[in-house]
Amino acid sequence: MSENVQEIRSALRPILADHSSPDEVVAAESAGWNSTLWSVLCEGGFATISVPEQYDGSGGSIADACAVLHELGRSASSVPFAEHALLAGWLLAIGKRSLPDGVLTVIDDPTELQVARTGDAFTVTGTARHVPWASVSAAILAILDIDDQSTAVLLPTEELQLDEQVNLAQEQRRTVVLHNVVVPAKNTWPVPADTAEQLRLRGALSRAALMAGALERATELTVRYTAEREQFGRPIGRFQAVERHVVRLAEAAQQAVMAVAVAGINAHEEIDFFDAASAKIVVGECASTGTAAAHQAHGAIGMTKEYELGQLSRRLWSWRDEYGDEREWARKLGARVSDAGAEALWPRIATG
Amino acid sequence: MKFVPTPLSPAELELQRDVRRFIAEELPADHQPGLGMGSGFDPAFSKKLAARGWVGMAVPKEFGGHARTAVDRFIVTEELLAVGAPLGAHFVADRQTAPAIVKFGSDWQREFFIPKIVAGECWFSLGMSEPDSGSDLSSVRSAARQVEGGWLLNGTKIWTSGAHRTHYFAVLCRTSPAEDKHQGLSQLIVDLRSDGVEIRPIPFLNGAHGFNEVHMSDVFVPDEMMLGEEGSGWRQVTSELAYERSGPDRFLSTFGLVKYLIAERAADGLTVEQQRAVGQLAARYWTIRQMSLSIARAIDDGGAPAVEASLVKDIGTRFEQRVIDVVRDVVEVQLRADSSSTFERLLAEAVLTGPSFTLRGGTTEVLRSIVAKGLRNV
Repeated sequence: MSENVQEIRSALRPILADHSSPDEVVAAESAGWNSTLWSVLCEGGFATISVPEQYDGSGGSIADACAVLHELGRSASSVPFAEHALLAGWLLAIGKRSLPDGVLTVIDDPTELQVARTGDAFTVTGTARHVPWASVSAAILAILDIDDQSTAVLLPTEELQLDEQVNLAQEQRRTVVLHNVVVPAKNTWPVPADTAEQLRLRGALSRAALMAGALERATELTVRYTAEREQFGRPIGRFQAVERHVVRLAEAAQQAVMAVAVAGINAHEEIDFFDAASAKIVVGECASTGTAAAHQAHGAIGMTKEYELGQLSRRLWSWRDEYGDEREWARKLGARVSDAGAEALWPRIATG
Repeated sequence: MKFVPTPLSPAELELQRDVRRFIAEELPADHQPGLGMGSGFDPAFSKKLAARGWVGMAVPKEFGGHARTAVDRFIVTEELLAVGAPLGAHFVADRQTAPAIVKFGSDWQREFFIPKIVAGECWFSLGMSEPDSGSDLSSVRSAARQVEGGWLLNGTKIWTSGAHRTHYFAVLCRTSPAEDKHQGLSQLIVDLRSDGVEIRPIPFLNGAHGFNEVHMSDVFVPDEMMLGEEGSGWRQVTSELAYERSGPDRFLSTFGLVKYLIAERAADGLTVEQQRAVGQLAARYWTIRQMSLSIARAIDDGGAPAVEASLVKDIGTRFEQRVIDVVRDVVEVQLRADSSSTFERLLAEAVLTGPSFTLRGGTTEVLRSIVAKGLRNV
């Protein structure tokens, strides 16, 4: 782990303890996000980590952004860091544009959007689903094909119709409807052809990093709970049957943390398909086995809204689906791996 | 518990390329890939590897080794396992006995054994399990009593892989009675051709001869074959297990199933289920390998990651088994004992031998209790 990553983690830990405690997580859920925490993260410069300094970001690598996400995941924080910095900030930087004021988000799936040219401007119509934090964003970015050119489009939010959709953890995931929304040419810029895929890989890695943090925290809670809770005259963690759940959870968390760490270290300008897909697959699977084990070890207490475990597991169950679930990524990775041929498989695995 | 991701250095990547070149040039043309450690016993291949300096790699130069790192050994081993190369002859001596002799052995033992091990010419088996002692290893009943110039050893060892072909095994036995059963144990290096040693085959589930039962009646073991201090056998054996637990041999046994599924079926196009299986497994190999590699790096950095090693062995060996289920789930094939398809032959072998993956070197249950203790003590 680089020194930066360590520093980011230790700087964020107390901030999140203050502003994303289990009570505050519950409080934030009615609004669909934690606005107080977001302000604190903005003031501290954390909100734009990985966005280059020349475009008004705080600078830093993808691995640094993953460190932020790890801590946010640990504390079940509902804030738009991934979309704002790692996705929108990056798209803006490709177009040599600075961060505008306000929260930014992105559209993961633009397939239901149509774009037409009207003079110097463009008109966008259609629907985008599961758009994170749309109700608190100042602008939404999407990648659309315009005349066969991959193009980033900055959509102002005031002209959009939003619903009240949330994910399983009550985080805003709005359906966004656009009726002939006019985008001036200055708010569009061409991007390389693989940008849409890179956006998805970044999105997938962001969710993997959040999940790794949440699994790490779920492990700590479960180790502590099973050491304190006594039944039949001894801590339940001393029963081999319960021990098994704790160990399986720890194994899930350690694999998740490793997968994200390696994908983050390897990512420089570009994120490698194999790395990000693998991280999302492994962490998604670990979210399933990990939450099952954590809840079984906790018993009924884990099923309450106030208790921290449930806050983490509802996010794990949401995040594992976002930016492609583990089955979708496994299918795509498997297709690429088999196209590359049997002899290429081991060298790729051993590339690190 | 801590796993630090560790990229390979340029020199390590060069070694990786060298091993791949060696495999391309030296693996016998008629080589039938096998499953991990059980992939064949080929003294000629072991000697070729040794000639390249890839047996006993991590042994210090002063003892006749190559003074390479645990990571270097990891790189060589994983490349060989990934192609199912025949490592059976030298594998235990390389992985386990050589480091134990370096760490605990006498000058005489180092001079006598290490150069032969490093040359790929001296092969070892393990001498731990007994008919009544498996996971509870400290309950071994094999015992040696002191006689003029050495020890007289009696007892029975079981599940002794390869003893009918290897030269020696290090026997965990009681050399003095003790209140605490972890005391009074020692390790004696026994020549498997000694008078009084009788080796009986125990056919494996698939009919193969790998396992043996080794009876020792009044076997004379000279003093110089006592490994380490008398009475410190328990400490030595548990430290040996850390070497045994976390390497690439603990997650790569069934890699051939995925490789040959692609090799034999991808030309016709994989089904969506097969693609999903391949993607899921490739992602997991990539992750588990990094965890296993991080332990080798930690050992090189002077750490003693025993709990981490147990955790990785549990993850890795259960994964080796899951590969069998996941792959079997996406092909419709009636398994036979012999098949001209490499994929089907390996799948049949994996089904027959798979249950052993989570037994050998410490059962899942033993490993989990070590990990649980480690988690509680944080």
